[in-house]
Amino acid sequence: MAYLFQPDYVRYVCSCGSLKPISKMYFCRHCLKIRCGYCVCHEADSHYCPNCMENLPSAEVRLKKNKCSNCFDCPCCFQTLCTRAGQAPLRPPASSADAKQDVKATPKKVYYLSCSLCRWTSRDAGIPDQYVATGGWPEQENPNSTRISTLIDFHKVLASKEKQEQQRKKFPTKRTFLQYEKFGLTSAMVRKRAGKPLEPKSLIQHSDQPAPAVANEEVDDLPAGIFTEAVDITKITTLEQRLQHPDVQAEKINELRPQHKQFLVKRSQRCRGCEHNVSKPEYSPQSIKFKIQLAAFYHVPEIRIVTCEPLRVGVASELLLKICNPTQHQTQISLLPLDTPTTPTTVTASGEEQELKRENIQMGSESPNLLPLAVRQISVTEDPKPITVVSGAEIALPECPLFLPPRDDAAEYDETNDASHFQDDKKVVVWRKGNKIVVRLHVTPFANEQNKGEPVIVGFVLRHGYVNTLATLEHKAPQKSELNVQLFLTLGNLVGTA
Amino acid sequence: MSISAPVNRRSNLKIAAGAVVCEESILKGDITIGARTVIHPKASIVAEAGPIIIGEGNIIEEMATIVNRLPPNIVDSATPALQIIGNYNVFEADCTCEASKVGDNNILENKAFVTRDVELTNGCVIGAACSLIEPEIVPENTIVFGSQCHRREMNDKPYPQIGQLEYLMRVLPSYHHLRKANIKVKSDPAT
Repeated sequence: MAYLFQPDYVRYVCSCGSLKPISKMYFCRHCLKIRCGYCVCHEADSHYCPNCMENLPSAEVRLKKNKCSNCFDCPCCFQTLCTRAGQAPLRPPASSADAKQDVKATPKKVYYLSCSLCRWTSRDAGIPDQYVATGGWPEQENPNSTRISTLIDFHKVLASKEKQEQQRKKFPTKRTFLQYEKFGLTSAMVRKRAGKPLEPKSLIQHSDQPAPAVANEEVDDLPAGIFTEAVDITKITTLEQRLQHPDVQAEKINELRPQHKQFLVKRSQRCRGCEHNVSKPEYSPQSIKFKIQLAAFYHVPEIRIVTCEPLRVGVASELLLKICNPTQHQTQISLLPLDTPTTPTTVTASGEEQELKRENIQMGSESPNLLPLAVRQISVTEDPKPITVVSGAEIALPECPLFLPPRDDAAEYDETNDASHFQDDKKVVVWRKGNKIVVRLHVTPFANEQNKGEPVIVGFVLRHGYVNTLATLEHKAPQKSELNVQLFLTLGNLVGTA
Repeated sequence: MSISAPVNRRSNLKIAAGAVVCEESILKGDITIGARTVIHPKASIVAEAGPIIIGEGNIIEEMATIVNRLPPNIVDSATPALQIIGNYNVFEADCTCEASKVGDNNILENKAFVTRDVELTNGCVIGAACSLIEPEIVPENTIVFGSQCHRREMNDKPYPQIGQLEYLMRVLPSYHHLRKANIKVKSDPAT
């Protein structure tokens, strides 16, 4: 996603250990953890053609080899081809009989495919024009299709055999060679003595086995003129053009044929920890909306760098940060040193602080994944990656907590200044409006020989209050908890030493 | 040239009868415009180094620039360089053509750029945002397309934009002031 502040100056640490801007992260409301594209399970929800927006069930998609039957890509520049209508080209009559026919035939409308970018047309490839607007285009035969189908058939046979064997194992039959074992002979030895192959391979008939591919040393000679004739680069296909169509790999431009357009998928993403969806698009390919979109942008306070004074080693520079509360609840924020543990905490009913664990998070239903166990992707829990960022400066963090009011879209247009509601330390909070504040911090870069010439990075932990509204669905009081997020800010290069 | 008086400039301008040249187009220097050529408002044709001769049935869209520019190191050449543009070419919006010779049925798409050392023959298409900056003679029916300026030879020529031309010749005079034609048609009616 393109983001207003595209260079990633402010990076949040995901629970998997990768550093990403807030616009690329999710926040799982169920296990209260930040998730990113690397630590979610991806599921293909629906397949659709990006051109005609046709939506197909996955079984049919497999049958069509993930390609749309109606839409084509240009084989030359890979843009979508459009169908154009034209008059049938008039040919000069070769004989009097032809001339008579031409007189009778009214000019028919013909259709051909044309690329609006590179002006490639199906006429270039010598494909005859069609008399219907959609479909009817000749399919290009894969030269190896018979071989591929025999191989696929063979593997289907193998798969079914394997399935049969597995079923047979469930109901163990009496093994024929067990009778020898009382004589101290294993079944393998008996087979050997009887002159039979070691393992009973009779299940696979050899007639089914396709002929193995034969390596051939003899290749066709190069054409005679290859070293003498000048190469016309405009008539030879590029590597991309060949690889776009791997089964034919045409060498000459006029052998290129229009390619069926590939389907795209809509995918939903699931938290690996609790298997709840963090992102689920609407099913219809025309819709760009989401049923569920738990972006971190809506739940975790956003931090932007306002200004930073030029950095000198050993000199404190002023750093202004803007903090924005995106939630509907007032939140309390404190900035803590980087070595603070990031385990979330909650305040129990008795008023004491306790660590937030999976058991005491108020969650919805236990197994949100509706797919059967055999089909669904098993969530892989990995240990978070170690963070390799080296902090290049010391940051003086405010000790007092900062309060941020809830987000109010109407407040954007409110001219009155409501800063007086909060008793702010004027040294820390420079500016306040609505759900946003600007705080003043001081950074002192270290003299770091290793990272010379690299931008200075500072890190801290952002502790923010979070109200778990999932509980209100079950008519419980919303659970308040304190969450900690590690953050790294890239401040810029050193300008010199003091 | 740019400082020259408007009367002087007008006298250098030769517009054949039947051409549609909008008043708001920017025309500087010695320019000859053929019949049935359409020049949109804010198209600029600058004959800096020598005269520009534009043939028949061309469409020069708004912000398109045709410049007969002096070579960079020569300030004032003794022999004026002639820039000739043939018939039925299309200069789409915001393209720049400095080519010394342009043949027939060429299309310069949006933001295309052709430098002065290039010669366009017939039926070439310079794709959107493609630029030709090396000296060459572009072979007939060449298409330059894409961000990498790939080239391909087209099997058939681009069709002359007759329909578009007729539409523009009908519509433009009703909404724009035109420059008056000052020379008689001398070409044969077949073209």
